[in-house]
Amino acid sequence: MSVTAHQTEAHVRALHARRPRSRFLRFSMGFFVLLMAASWFFGDFDPADTFSSRRGANFERFAGEVRPYPLHDEPWDWSVAATWAGERLESGVSKEGSPGGLESAIGTLAISVLAIVIAALASLVFCWFAARNVAAPEPFAPSAAPPSRTRRWLWRGVVGITRLVLILLRSMPEYILAYLIMSMVGSPAWPAVLALAIHNTGILGRLNAETVENVDVKPLVALRGLGASRTRIAAVGIWPAILPRFLLYFFYRWETCVREATVLGILGLASLGWLIDEAQVAFKYDEMVFFILLGVLLVLGGDLVSAVCRRLVRRAS
Amino acid sequence: MEPSASPARPFPLRTRGAVLLALLVAGGWAFAYLDLSFGDLVPNEGGLDIAGRFFGRAFSPALTSEADFVPEGTPPLLVASLAALKTTIVYAAAAMSLSLLLGLFLGFFASTAWWAGDPVGGRTLLGRTLAPAIYGFTRVLIGFMRSVHEVLWAVLFLAAFGLTPLSAVFAIAIPYGGTLAKIFSEMIDEAPRGPALALRGAGASGIQVFFFGLVPRALPDMMAYAFYRFECALRSSAVLGFFGYETIGREIEQAFDGTNYGEVWTHLYVLMAVIVLFDWWSGQLRKRFVA
Repeated sequence: MSVTAHQTEAHVRALHARRPRSRFLRFSMGFFVLLMAASWFFGDFDPADTFSSRRGANFERFAGEVRPYPLHDEPWDWSVAATWAGERLESGVSKEGSPGGLESAIGTLAISVLAIVIAALASLVFCWFAARNVAAPEPFAPSAAPPSRTRRWLWRGVVGITRLVLILLRSMPEYILAYLIMSMVGSPAWPAVLALAIHNTGILGRLNAETVENVDVKPLVALRGLGASRTRIAAVGIWPAILPRFLLYFFYRWETCVREATVLGILGLASLGWLIDEAQVAFKYDEMVFFILLGVLLVLGGDLVSAVCRRLVRRAS
Repeated sequence: MEPSASPARPFPLRTRGAVLLALLVAGGWAFAYLDLSFGDLVPNEGGLDIAGRFFGRAFSPALTSEADFVPEGTPPLLVASLAALKTTIVYAAAAMSLSLLLGLFLGFFASTAWWAGDPVGGRTLLGRTLAPAIYGFTRVLIGFMRSVHEVLWAVLFLAAFGLTPLSAVFAIAIPYGGTLAKIFSEMIDEAPRGPALALRGAGASGIQVFFFGLVPRALPDMMAYAFYRFECALRSSAVLGFFGYETIGREIEQAFDGTNYGEVWTHLYVLMAVIVLFDWWSGQLRKRFVA
């Protein structure tokens, strides 16, 4: 069967009519562009200062100090550099009582893993109350008697409050959360774990609630018809259906947790950032850059593991 | 936030329990490795005192300065807070403008659409040798840009150049540019190929096909994602205040160090209000344009 020119034209016209072109999109785009342009006028940026010769000289000195200490005025020697790198992995910053680089890297990893597991568990508590289809007076059922106005408003209130809590949890940057918690909980790792867990509970809670709302309702309506309770529907009907998405988001947020965990040590907590900060304070820029690069390896490794896991999840589901 | 959406389908039952158990075991390992105990979570006396005084002010943020000694010429608290907020937004917006340019430029080279497969790229000798090399190099470059956290870029720039507002902007723009490039390239590669093939058939060149066949379909997604990243940039910009920049993080740190907890809440609420606003805004954009 051949498509006539007329049909094609009608189809193209229909597609054209469906293009996104709302005033809201245009306003958002315009606002954003204006804000970015304005920032260059209202900021106290001084390119003449940033690119001045004084800064240039500073940079040259810095570039020289980035070379590993034993090779400062020597020609490059891989074996010396490797020995030096081994010492950094073994004993961290060259100073008394510093934890080793490798130890700190594994600690950073552990912080990120524990934080994302806690956040995922907490988000599984929140997400049901933030999903409009589950947190409703009559979930998945065309009821004979429509729910009373009070019950409708009650459930709307539950959704609203849960969403507000989730927004507030994710609105604070992890670094500021860790800084505030640090003064109250005097352990070297808990503040970092809690800060990451709190922020990511807010994000995962929202994402998982969205997944719950997008679940195919037909099987759930059937379950409801059989007399299943709300909890049963969630456990038997929704949880298996959202699991792939749940895992995708879990690994996606874990990646960012590794990145953030690296940094939180700067506050004095038990991660790579502690070594980076100690080296910087002592002006040992060679060691500082070494630990930053160690962090890069950790983050890239995390990205790789996460990408593999997400691909496996996609393939399995 | 996760850009590539696949429909949720049931997970195979055989592996489901094993996967979830593995994640819990990983959590247990981390708990043991960090030598944590739930007892440590209960603050000691000093911590309890600080927590009590801090949370006691949650519903009564300061409206005027609470410091014992206020140097002459210090702006009123709310003015100082809003000025710091302005700087926070300015740094974030300036960084986003740079990272969007970086993201669009590098995102082009990091996508497979401009060289691999038929829709866009031809099968010339150059296309078979040089293009994959440029693609690979770009991927490595954006991977490196992304894997150094913005705070660490800031620490590096502080050591290399000293404190200048522009280096705060660059510190945010580099990792964000890498992230935008990665996500943009994936969005472009996942855009439907139909229009691109049609343009190709009409005789359009590779570049034309890329910009008129693929980008328009991916544009709403890219917009929504850029908005979401702006919200992240606001948080990053606030955090840079802890490193000497005049953003709201510095106000928070100074007030907290001076135990003026009411002031801390004022700054926190000011920052939260803006972030919640942009969170809502980017959520609306996502809801309307990302199916």
